[in-house]
Amino acid sequence: MAYMSMGEAHRRITDYLNRFSDAVSSQDVASLKQLLSFSSNSPSLLSLADSLNVFQDANRLIKQSDNYSPFADITVPLFRSLQHYRTGNLVDAYLAFEKSANAFIQEFRNWESAWALEALYVIAYEIRVLAERADRELASNGKSPEKLKAAGSFLMKVFGVLALGTVHLCRSVIRSIETARIFDFEEFPKRDKVTYMYYTGRLEVFNENFPAADQKLSYALINCNPRSEANIRSVSAVLIVMILKYLIPVKLSIGILPKDWLLEKYNLVEYSNIVQALRRGDLRLLRHALEEHEDQFLRSGVYLVLEKLELQVYQRLFKKIYIIQKQKDPSKAHQMKLDVIVKALKWLEMDMDVDEVECIVAILIHKNLVKGYFAHKSKVVVLSKQDPFPKLNGKPVNS
Amino acid sequence: MERRHHSQSHSQRQQGRNHFSSSSSNQSRSNNRFSFPKSSSSSSSANDVRDRRRETQEEKQEEAIVGTCPFMCPEAERLQRQRLRDLAVFERLHGDPRNSSPALAVKKFCRTMSAKEVRASDVRPLPVLEETLNYLLSLLDSTEHPFEVIHDFVFDRTRSVRQDLIMQNIVNDKAINMFEKIVKFHVISHHKLRSSCSSSSISPLHYLNLEQLTKALTSLYNLYEANWSSKPIHEKEAEFRSFYVLLHLDSNGQPVGESLSLWFRHVPSPIIKSKEMWFARQALRYFQMGNYRRFLSTVAAEASYLQYCIIEPYIDEVRSLALCCIHNCYYKLHPYPLGHLSKVLMMEESDVELFCNAYGLQTCIDELGNKLLPTKQTTFCRPKGGLQNYSFLGFQQLGRQIEL
Repeated sequence: MAYMSMGEAHRRITDYLNRFSDAVSSQDVASLKQLLSFSSNSPSLLSLADSLNVFQDANRLIKQSDNYSPFADITVPLFRSLQHYRTGNLVDAYLAFEKSANAFIQEFRNWESAWALEALYVIAYEIRVLAERADRELASNGKSPEKLKAAGSFLMKVFGVLALGTVHLCRSVIRSIETARIFDFEEFPKRDKVTYMYYTGRLEVFNENFPAADQKLSYALINCNPRSEANIRSVSAVLIVMILKYLIPVKLSIGILPKDWLLEKYNLVEYSNIVQALRRGDLRLLRHALEEHEDQFLRSGVYLVLEKLELQVYQRLFKKIYIIQKQKDPSKAHQMKLDVIVKALKWLEMDMDVDEVECIVAILIHKNLVKGYFAHKSKVVVLSKQDPFPKLNGKPVNS
Repeated sequence: MERRHHSQSHSQRQQGRNHFSSSSSNQSRSNNRFSFPKSSSSSSSANDVRDRRRETQEEKQEEAIVGTCPFMCPEAERLQRQRLRDLAVFERLHGDPRNSSPALAVKKFCRTMSAKEVRASDVRPLPVLEETLNYLLSLLDSTEHPFEVIHDFVFDRTRSVRQDLIMQNIVNDKAINMFEKIVKFHVISHHKLRSSCSSSSISPLHYLNLEQLTKALTSLYNLYEANWSSKPIHEKEAEFRSFYVLLHLDSNGQPVGESLSLWFRHVPSPIIKSKEMWFARQALRYFQMGNYRRFLSTVAAEASYLQYCIIEPYIDEVRSLALCCIHNCYYKLHPYPLGHLSKVLMMEESDVELFCNAYGLQTCIDELGNKLLPTKQTTFCRPKGGLQNYSFLGFQQLGRQIEL
């Protein structure tokens, strides 16, 4: 360590703090990133560490300045961490960095826009690197290496923050972390995994990736039942309801209907009529249910998903007509007159003209919800003799 | 309600931040941004944070540049561009490429603008910006030049107008009015540029226009939210909000920004219940379902002119779907009358035949002279080039008021 004067050390420290506060006030994430990247071993960070050892009163400096004190919760532990890092005390470096990172998340939330997202990535990366090295130090001292797990919890917190806010940016974070395989997902506490799967599953719902949404939300549901932890059963009930609110629309979209007792048990009344409508092929009921809970569905973001169930309801209606016809005259059942469908719809108070019904028939055939063809001149739908109304089989209606 | 306030300060911040960096570099360090009480035990408490947020809005007003340029184009820029012969055709005095005038020159859009280098004399104050915008939009009526040329000029110069507005943090009613006019310009260009380009690939002009349309629209939404406390709903807000839905009908395409499900969460109730948003949601519903009949007839019956301009590309997509359905799902021995197809596709019968041909389909004539489309032809294929522009029955019903 080359000799550094007190004045020089002071200058370097204030220089860093100025750059930090400037970066934040001008939302300059590129500069901010560099200030946080310990593992880069950049000369400026190394010399900052040295400066901190020379000028030992950085904390007072930070807290007494109006420019620096707003970020004291971040910079004070950050400086401490940097000093420990420089001297090779990785466990202490990790602990201090974690403290700083938590304070950073708090600030990030307050900023309300995700301008600092890349800085958050850097912090997530650094915390993992520090955690690994800390664990190595612990292991070499015969202690149990648990810092990496703690870092994982921090990461889950990050997702929580992101999911609450600018969700549309979240995908890139998730993708980069999932593909980078920074963490072995299975190593983390169940509660964190459930949280993660809930938020990312919900994101998939908004983006209408139903198979992925189903997988993630189902995972969350299965794993959030703490039968052994009686004292937080009420908490888990809340979580179950939260998950179901999104899982049910997803399941409905792939043709799976929840049992009535499930809706009753968790008081998910808003879905009862929709499920009924799907069971009965009752279009009027579907539209009515969507209108009745429109605000709620729009706010939670599932309205558009539920609206799409309309085609499945049509399929069910056609199937019912077919079954009735089959009972009356099995030999003619596979031919459905357009008139009959129009009448059925009129009975449901759905006023649709023949052209529109014809259009719906064509769409159902096109999307493979009905197997057959339409004879335009005779206005008859000719159904396939085998399996004229294929089930969705876990796949959403194809576009 | 709490949420709205947050959006307000968020959008404020977005407005000011995007185009100029902190003024702390301009001011001395003693004039700091965060004036906290000088207690030594100040770690950022929640109160400090709230104060800071409230202050930021006032600070921004204090720090925002106040433009003083009295002309549509700063004099220094005009003189330089005269020297360099960098004058657009509309800016030339008597057609002279080396000469302009304050009445003709309009400030160009300049991408890299760090606030440290911006001079107040280069920025136009609100009244000048209003005049500039009105002048620019008046050029759209000109018949002397091809539309692309006019569009290109207005495109660039309105972008500079937007930039000046944002730099000065002008977020009032007048800013809303101006942004609405600019969005309207982009929407109409979206339609006109599409008509004029004949190739299948979307022209660069068209694509860039869509990009700026989206940006201007986002800024406009931020302005609506920023003005929420003084005036909850603006006269045209519902229509302009509906544009977002109409731009994102195809959820399977790459989402630009938020998915619609997320976007709807933040839309205020009165907007959702508006006639314009109702139309957009119906269009979305029918489009997603594939209900081509209702989609086309609803558009014909209820779309405003601007809504039509935006939804126009989807009309062709829906017609494609209709043709696909009819061709693939209808009985082979019952050819489909073109007259009827014309009604379904909402297209002139003459165009219908061309449309079918574009898909590799041949029509035939029955003994009565009616034209028919045999279904399940083996030659059915996606059109290789793009589709030409076809008539849209019901277009005539749309008002052609283009008052900008």
